[in-house]
Amino acid sequence: MSGMLDDGQRLTADDGEEIEVVKLIASGGQGEVYRVRTSGGDRALKWYYPPCATPEQRSIVQELVSRGFDDDRFLWPTAYVEGSPTAFGYVMDLRPDRFQGLPTLFQRKLRTTPRALLTACLYTVEAYQTLHSRGIAYRDISWGNVLFDPATGDVLVCDNDNAVVEGDSSGISGTMAFMAPELVRGDPGARPGTQSDLYSLSVLLFMFLMNHHPLQGRRELLIHCLDEPAEKALYGKHPLFVFDPEDDANAPDPVEQSTVLATWDVAPKILRDLFTHNFTVGLRDPAARVRESQWRDALRAVLDAVVDCADCGRQNMTQPEETTAGTCWSCGSTLLLPPRLIVVTPPPRAERHLRLHRTARVHAHHLEPEPVRHDYSDGSVLAELIEHPQKPGKFGLANRSGTAWTGTRSDGTTQQIAPGQTVPLRSGLELDLQGARLTVRAK
Amino acid sequence: MSTPHWETFSESVQGINKKLNQDYGTAEGQGSTEDPLVLAVADGHGAARHARSDVGARRAVALFAGHAREFAGFARSLVREESRGGLSRLMNYAQHDMPRRLVAAWQQDVLGHWDRMRKRSGAGTPPPDTADAEKLLLYGTTLIGALLTPQLFVAWQLGDGELAVVERDGRIGFPLAPAETDLGDETESMCSHRAWSLMRVHWSPVVGPDRMPRLITLSTDGLSKSFASSEGFPRFMAGLDRRLVDEGAKEVRAVLPQWLRQAARHSGDDTTMAAGYRPPHHHAIKE
Repeated sequence: MSGMLDDGQRLTADDGEEIEVVKLIASGGQGEVYRVRTSGGDRALKWYYPPCATPEQRSIVQELVSRGFDDDRFLWPTAYVEGSPTAFGYVMDLRPDRFQGLPTLFQRKLRTTPRALLTACLYTVEAYQTLHSRGIAYRDISWGNVLFDPATGDVLVCDNDNAVVEGDSSGISGTMAFMAPELVRGDPGARPGTQSDLYSLSVLLFMFLMNHHPLQGRRELLIHCLDEPAEKALYGKHPLFVFDPEDDANAPDPVEQSTVLATWDVAPKILRDLFTHNFTVGLRDPAARVRESQWRDALRAVLDAVVDCADCGRQNMTQPEETTAGTCWSCGSTLLLPPRLIVVTPPPRAERHLRLHRTARVHAHHLEPEPVRHDYSDGSVLAELIEHPQKPGKFGLANRSGTAWTGTRSDGTTQQIAPGQTVPLRSGLELDLQGARLTVRAK
Repeated sequence: MSTPHWETFSESVQGINKKLNQDYGTAEGQGSTEDPLVLAVADGHGAARHARSDVGARRAVALFAGHAREFAGFARSLVREESRGGLSRLMNYAQHDMPRRLVAAWQQDVLGHWDRMRKRSGAGTPPPDTADAEKLLLYGTTLIGALLTPQLFVAWQLGDGELAVVERDGRIGFPLAPAETDLGDETESMCSHRAWSLMRVHWSPVVGPDRMPRLITLSTDGLSKSFASSEGFPRFMAGLDRRLVDEGAKEVRAVLPQWLRQAARHSGDDTTMAAGYRPPHHHAIKE
């Protein structure tokens, strides 16, 4: 299909940059995305379909560009481009190849791990929290707007051109399956904003971790034609969580919807409780929805408590701070919990519990009481568990930071662990790291 | 708004030495809002374990046509909401809901057929019931379907076969060609486990009548396999497009069976094409 712009067409951005259209990359729900050539290299140009190229949308894009938002988690509009008053778009970075769309995950067409998924969830929460903390509501959080790297969990939020300053009323009202029920119903006074974003975010997290939509149970299977009235009933007028503890009328079908039964079964209680609260009480009361900080705390705790099955090696989520675990979701073997590292941060004191599995690492954010952003990349590692090269099965904590640690053994003796050195892992070992206190516990 | 009037043609020929034609196809509508262009072809699998794949192919095409018209109706109701995210909702439906609904409807339909056949099977005791997966295997088929309205061009594909699109300037594209071609004769199927997740979707809103393609063809792999080299099929499409431009749909409709018979002789397979063509000097339909 020919797009709205022709290959080779030239345009000028409002910052004076000359742009040459290379080719159409994709068609979406609001416009088309082209690869374009600029003096600074190839970039992406989003161009709106005529019905979406409204004066309100133009104002939103111009406002977003003027904010100069510089955050590597967002494909943010960087320059406004106009062909005519009713034909415009914006320039943004091209999507790096390592990022994948979530539908690919839900179709199980890519390989990932529970750690990468939890990391992606945590990063997604923090990305939207960053927007909300700046008074911006995203308003169209859905699986089409978040990309993730299945190897690392890094996320990239795209289609940011629906984000507006909280309170603005113009533009899109969201994707129905992700919209808060009060917006689907069109309740008087209901507007897309941070509270409705929190609902959409929870749907997205549920789909990340459970591979299913939280309201698509038996009732959805009974709908023969999913038209607008049916969608409104399912997501707005009569929404019912598939795991509502008080009402099983929309429970998952054991054959058609077996995936969500399996994923829910292996999810730790701390996450199940938040989802249950959000999709029961939070369905009816927007003010009672789970906040980003609650999601962040729960997700990082679960991420630090993922353990590897000793038999098959698959990663398993466990309930943080529990001293016993169930069985492996993959092979059914009883899970053995590795030793635990308890981190007490400098004031205001916060406690973190890390399971010391074979590839466990302590990152800079573990030592901060209120980290602005979690970072599980190689660049933020302060300590990592390594196996003794000559004594298989013996592990130690290697100092990957730039400063020496002080270690105190259970007998009270102390030692300095210089950068690059390793301290043998023993129950009762205490380490002083940049003002944080780390203690090794057997369970 | 005036919409081009689309000409349609659909033809299917049986492969050499085959007992019956397991392909099926349809081409319906004029491309208007009320009468959208609906194209579909299905290729029932050939092996003995797919003994009822001709039924599976027919049902897949019929169910697609029904679902596509229903989708067009949904699109009609959302057009007025385009600036409020109507198109985004349609895209979501096309990419995620439609494949699930189509596969579920087909599976339910052919399981119903299996039950009816079981009850009708002679005067004696009916054959024993078997697992649903075994029954579905009997009806295994591919499916390619396309829908074109004045606002939208959407296509879905599960398994092999080709969707070819000739743009207004004569460029030929294959928007649903898989990243990696299936090796051998194994293909993804309506009877596959989680078949909906294997469906490829082409989504392309129409930004103006002058930007529409001029030819859309759907064909089963009996046609593309009949060419000795990979360039053969695009060349055939270019030739088909040229004949349509030079001689019109009526002439092509008359010779198409002969072309497909020739292709079926080379590939040995059933060969089916369903196509929509937009004549250059069309009679516009008032929308």
